[in-house]
Amino acid sequence: MLREPLTSSRSPRPSPIQRWSESLTGWALVGPGAVLILVFGGLPVLMSLTLSFQKSDLLSTDAPWVGFDNYRKLATDPLFVEAIKHTLVYTALFVPGTMLVGLLVAVAMNRSLRFISVYRTAAYLTMAVSTISQGIIFMWLTDQNYGLVNAALNTVGIESQPFLSSPSQALYVIVAMTIWGWTGFAVIIYLAALQAVPAELHEAAAVDGASRLTRFRTITVPLLGPANLFLLVWLSINALQLFDEVYLTTRGGPLRSTSVIVYYLWDQAFVQFNAGYAAAMAYALFVVVVIITAVQFRITRKYVHNT
Amino acid sequence: MIRSRPIIALTAVAALLLAGCGGKEDNASGPTEIAVWNGFTDASATNFAAMIDQYNKDHPDVRVTQLMTSNDLVLQKVLTAVRGGSPPDVAYMYGSWSPNIAEISTVTDLSGEVSKPGWNWDDFYPAERAAATVGDKIVGVPALVDNLAVVYNKTLFAEAGIAPPAKDWTWDDFRAAAAKLTNSKGQYGTLISGDASEDTVWHYLPMLWGAGGDILSPDNQHAVFNSAAGVKALTTLQQMAVTDKSLYVDATNANGVNLMNSGKIGMLVTGPWDLPSFTDIDYGVQVLPAYPDGAGHQTISGPDNWVIFNNGTQRQRAALDFVKWVTAAPQVAATSKATGELPTRTSVGEDPTLVADLTKKVPGTDTFIENLSNVKKSRPTVPQYPAISQALGQAIVSVLLGTAQPADALNTAAQAADAALAGK
Repeated sequence: MLREPLTSSRSPRPSPIQRWSESLTGWALVGPGAVLILVFGGLPVLMSLTLSFQKSDLLSTDAPWVGFDNYRKLATDPLFVEAIKHTLVYTALFVPGTMLVGLLVAVAMNRSLRFISVYRTAAYLTMAVSTISQGIIFMWLTDQNYGLVNAALNTVGIESQPFLSSPSQALYVIVAMTIWGWTGFAVIIYLAALQAVPAELHEAAAVDGASRLTRFRTITVPLLGPANLFLLVWLSINALQLFDEVYLTTRGGPLRSTSVIVYYLWDQAFVQFNAGYAAAMAYALFVVVVIITAVQFRITRKYVHNT
Repeated sequence: MIRSRPIIALTAVAALLLAGCGGKEDNASGPTEIAVWNGFTDASATNFAAMIDQYNKDHPDVRVTQLMTSNDLVLQKVLTAVRGGSPPDVAYMYGSWSPNIAEISTVTDLSGEVSKPGWNWDDFYPAERAAATVGDKIVGVPALVDNLAVVYNKTLFAEAGIAPPAKDWTWDDFRAAAAKLTNSKGQYGTLISGDASEDTVWHYLPMLWGAGGDILSPDNQHAVFNSAAGVKALTTLQQMAVTDKSLYVDATNANGVNLMNSGKIGMLVTGPWDLPSFTDIDYGVQVLPAYPDGAGHQTISGPDNWVIFNNGTQRQRAALDFVKWVTAAPQVAATSKATGELPTRTSVGEDPTLVADLTKKVPGTDTFIENLSNVKKSRPTVPQYPAISQALGQAIVSVLLGTAQPADALNTAAQAADAALAGK
């Protein structure tokens, strides 16, 4: 810019008092929100940190300090180790599964068709279904004796599966159930990203003789980078915090086969009354989430083309 | 006017903070306000609201308000409120929480109170009093009582050509009936919730007691459920689940009532609260079977309590008076009539007109009321009970799913229970 804007010659630089007043106005405006966040978000986080160094059942006022005992106990608790394993298996299946299904549905819907908005709404509808309804629907669908899934299997000659009643199958049923529930979310994100892909690039490549598949692989996929990164981080954090679906359907069973970290944490805090131990677990999970997210950012930064 | 803006905003912050801190001041003038937390639904909720209206009308110096919550979650909410320094005045709490509730410092110990005239403490059923007592403390007043009995589908019994169960039936009779009631069309003899929660455990406990066993040693120091009696009781379940495949293990703990009501289950061990749901079947109710050489017909009761918190003498006195009124015989009778719940007081339960009236409305209620006298034992009120229950629940489910043998499973659970009792 060569010339100063005209207005600047008319009004003098703001005086220190005016600037102070303006910044105070700013602080005052964000103040109420910030206070609420600090009181209801920040404070509990700190209190939970102190709790993790105490032996507390939340009931009695007597909560002795135990240093790092709760954290040390985590390392040797076989049930916690088991819960970590289940959580990792779940995350490793749920995150790529949701992204893949979401991408396929989004690609299928990224075109002009009659009633396309109806299909798009239908795809997103699973997000609007409450977790409770979802849990109940899947419990009945997969019921060992009376479920539709087994009825379908029987008609093609496969015998009925116990699904949620089986220690070796229950976790996978929960994976399928949550993929179904989250697909709509992934579809919306991918659909938005797909529509942002410039049509000129496709046209130019088509002129150069690139096939549909080549164009998808070399133009669309790289441009989906930011959407991938967002979904990867978002879904991973959600997967590591899995609770509702487990609480509703299997209560961590059968035989603890679906006991994931947050479920075990809840069980320790509110069923077994080991609140200090549960708080330590929550902090361990927090650290894991931070590390995984940082790693994901680092790895994907190389491959993501931010435009 | 740029300079006045921060002041407005700051005032808003201050107002918010003040609003957040309000509500704790005692009402110097006007009626004493007390809050009652409960999770009543349907008829129970309507009835309780009417009770509160009645009480408020008769007591202009007190205003009782209620906060609806879920019974399952009320403990979590109360814990949060206790930590925050603003517990309710009265809360409806499950009896199984009593030992843990006893550790909350603001919970009123009623041991000195209930012997005073007006309470008629001994009129409550023994199981209710036991569930409210922790050591030398009394932490609540009975709010609800129930027990387990066998609800059976008369039509399915007739189809299978079996006589309806008699009062003196045995677990062998039960197993034989269950086997005959099972067929390839997806019909099962009986069902148990297999989520390994207390719901699974408390279906096993009356069998354990009936076989002559117990959960803990008399001094509550170590587990004894891995006795011969314990193995015998669990073996009965194993035979039905694994050998006969007549016991449907409901892993989700959500299907029992619906399956029973749609005629898929021949017999369901459950409590009186489920009876109104069985609208589509012709059912009968019988007491739990016995083991011939065991300790007779037993059952288990899960009484719930009104727990009173100390929020200052004035409110505490008002809360005590309200609870005393709502659990007095006339109100207990009125509640039973309105809701179909079992009467919490012996004097009411022995009133033949009331029992006939209740049974006319909901068939089988008379058996459940009589069955209250089969409640001979209670779960130990020790703070480690949740850990013991969890260990036992896992043992039971591992046997039901065929992955363990009764004796091994119970021994493992007993070790875990002993570790919990010893404080690890």
